[in-house]
Amino acid sequence: MERSKKTLNQQTIIFALIYGATYLPATWLLKHYVFERPVSIIIVIVPVIAFSIFIFKYIKAFSAMDEVKQRVQFEAVVIGFSLTAMLMMILFLLGLCGISNPFWFGYGLLVGYCWLFYLVGWLISKRKYGA
Amino acid sequence: MKNTIKVERAKKNWTQADLAKHIGISRQGLNSIETGKFVPSTLLALRMAKVFNTTVEALFQLDDTEM
Repeated sequence: MERSKKTLNQQTIIFALIYGATYLPATWLLKHYVFERPVSIIIVIVPVIAFSIFIFKYIKAFSAMDEVKQRVQFEAVVIGFSLTAMLMMILFLLGLCGISNPFWFGYGLLVGYCWLFYLVGWLISKRKYGA
Repeated sequence: MKNTIKVERAKKNWTQADLAKHIGISRQGLNSIETGKFVPSTLLALRMAKVFNTTVEALFQLDDTEM
C-alpha cells in the first residue's frame, strides 16, 4: 500500500518533469522557427498530451493520499487557482484601459505564474497543517 | 478540538510513526491531528479509537468554545 502510494507520487513527478521537458522546447521551437501548419500543430499537441497524462497521474495520486495530504493539495490548488484567476482579471481590466505589458504577462508566462501560485498555496497549506 | 492521542500512544508506548502505520496515514499527517491542526474524518477517528481499544468520544472532545 505504502509502496504503491510512493510509486504514484513518483509517477506524478516524472510526468510533471516530462511536461516541463516538452513544453519549454515546444515554446522555443515555435518562437524561433517557422514550421508548416501540421508540424506546428503536432508541436503544440505534444506538451498538451504530456500535461493531460500528468493531470491523470496527479488525480490518481491524490486519491491515494491520506486526508491531511489531500487537504494540503486541495488548498494549494484552490489558492493557486484563485491567484491565477485574480491575475487574469487584473490583466484583462488593465488591458481594457490600455495598460498592459505582454513582456511580463504574456500567455506563456501565465502558465509559469499559475505554477508559482500553486507552489505558494502548497507552502502556505503545508505550513498551516505541518504536514 | 482536544484529543488524547498522545496519552493513548504513551500507554501503548507507540511512536507517532507506529500509530501512523497502524491507521494508514503519514507521520506528518498524524502529527497535524495530534497537535489539533487538522480534524480527522469520522473513518479515521473510528480507526484510531479501534487501535486504542477505546471510543471516539474518549479520544476527541470539543473545546469549550466549540460547544
